[in-house]
Amino acid sequence: MKRRVAVTGLGIISPCGNNIDEFSANLMAGKSGVRRISSAYSSLLSVKIAAEVDFNPFNYVTKRQVSSMDRVNQFALAAASQAWKDSEPSLDAKERERAGVYIGSGMGGGNTIEDLYDQLFKHNADRVKPLTVLMVMNNASASHISIEYGLSGPCLTLSTACASSANAIGEAFRQVRDGYVDVMLAGGAEAFLTYGGLRCWESLRVLAVEDPDDPSKSCKPFSKNRSGLVLGEGAAVVVLEEMERAVNRGALIHAEIVGYGSTSDAFHTTKPSFEGQARAMSEALKGAGLLPEDIDYINAHGTATRWNDLLETRAMRKVFDDYVYKVPVSSTKSMHGHTMGASGAIEFIVSLLAIKNQAVPPTINLDQPDPECDLDYVPNIGRKGVKVNTVMSNSFAFGGTNAVLIARKIKEVA
Amino acid sequence: MSITLERLKQLFAAKFDFNIEELKPATTLEYLGLDSLDIIEFMFDIENEFKIKIPDQEFRVRTIQDMVDAVDRFISEQSIGS
Repeated sequence: MKRRVAVTGLGIISPCGNNIDEFSANLMAGKSGVRRISSAYSSLLSVKIAAEVDFNPFNYVTKRQVSSMDRVNQFALAAASQAWKDSEPSLDAKERERAGVYIGSGMGGGNTIEDLYDQLFKHNADRVKPLTVLMVMNNASASHISIEYGLSGPCLTLSTACASSANAIGEAFRQVRDGYVDVMLAGGAEAFLTYGGLRCWESLRVLAVEDPDDPSKSCKPFSKNRSGLVLGEGAAVVVLEEMERAVNRGALIHAEIVGYGSTSDAFHTTKPSFEGQARAMSEALKGAGLLPEDIDYINAHGTATRWNDLLETRAMRKVFDDYVYKVPVSSTKSMHGHTMGASGAIEFIVSLLAIKNQAVPPTINLDQPDPECDLDYVPNIGRKGVKVNTVMSNSFAFGGTNAVLIARKIKEVA
Repeated sequence: MSITLERLKQLFAAKFDFNIEELKPATTLEYLGLDSLDIIEFMFDIENEFKIKIPDQEFRVRTIQDMVDAVDRFISEQSIGS
């Protein structure tokens, strides 16, 4: 028998705030975290904007951990600590064996790799930091969280580029639903705003041009004058818990996760297929036993590349038919940027906040609608007083992986 | 008090969360809660600070004083050829 799965904890480190309340308020107010890159190397780049996290690791981890962890691991632990504190799952030794960690990350310890190569090739170092292997490995974040909270069930890292953390949450949901575990910490982290990292993205010619009037307005999803995506960094972690356990201990339940669609385009590494995306949405709806009309808000993948915006819109039209014009859809990447492996988890939290606040965040910088993108993208101004019972969050990755999550309010609003 | 000890203390303080007053010559690394990975990482900092090379298998230390002695020994051995 399939079990129900509650979300009982939320944690976030993002360009729009390093706690849930601040993040939520900034998004509803349409405040962008995109700005000029702070590092010295930015003068070398043609694209000098990104959505950076204002982060002091000493607020979250020990001095020893600061020097033995990549920035991405520090983000992950910081987000996990918020989620853990929010949920307070209080597990005994036996219960910890039935609790696990699934974390998504596209690039792992990117800052450490860059430092390593800088030392080796530029400074001809004959030795490198001893913990380099442990800081670069992609499973370090999940491992540190597992150690920190003594969670000794499954501990996996999912790497599916921009869908990584949506896959992590979706697969963790299935673990709890199907009875393998009772509690999961799931989410993702990314910190790849390095000189090399930005150069790689620059060469792919998908990055947004800086807005001449205001750098913070450079990311323009679904807009006719869009020019590409803005890279971001961050982390988000949620606590998933078997429903009965959560109810019995009187946990605050943010929402119930009810659907997960996981598909591959099997088509092209960078060019998306709307069929693959549509199948992921349909699969998530089917698994949740819901109809398209049941969805009250969609957090779009919405990268602000032409291919994404057009094909995602087309995929939503296919799945939602006429109802597609009635459901608010927003791309909050316009504010927090594209946080890559963290984006699925960050945007899943955005979707849950829509339920909590009964309000939907806007797609900012949408002043020139693209006629080919004709849905209700909640342009520029967040909408309060909206009935939001059920939400969908889309994540589509380079490589063709698609992941869609659906969550719903525990007590429905009529 | 030896200069090496003072410099080691500063390195410790930069890396770990100890109160520097806790660091006495007789203090053991075990007492400080340092595991093998911490020590390997710290050896790298020592090599940088004292411009020495610590050969594999030759840094068997139990106390802070052992560490001071080892560093002093490497300094004197390795300054000969330079």
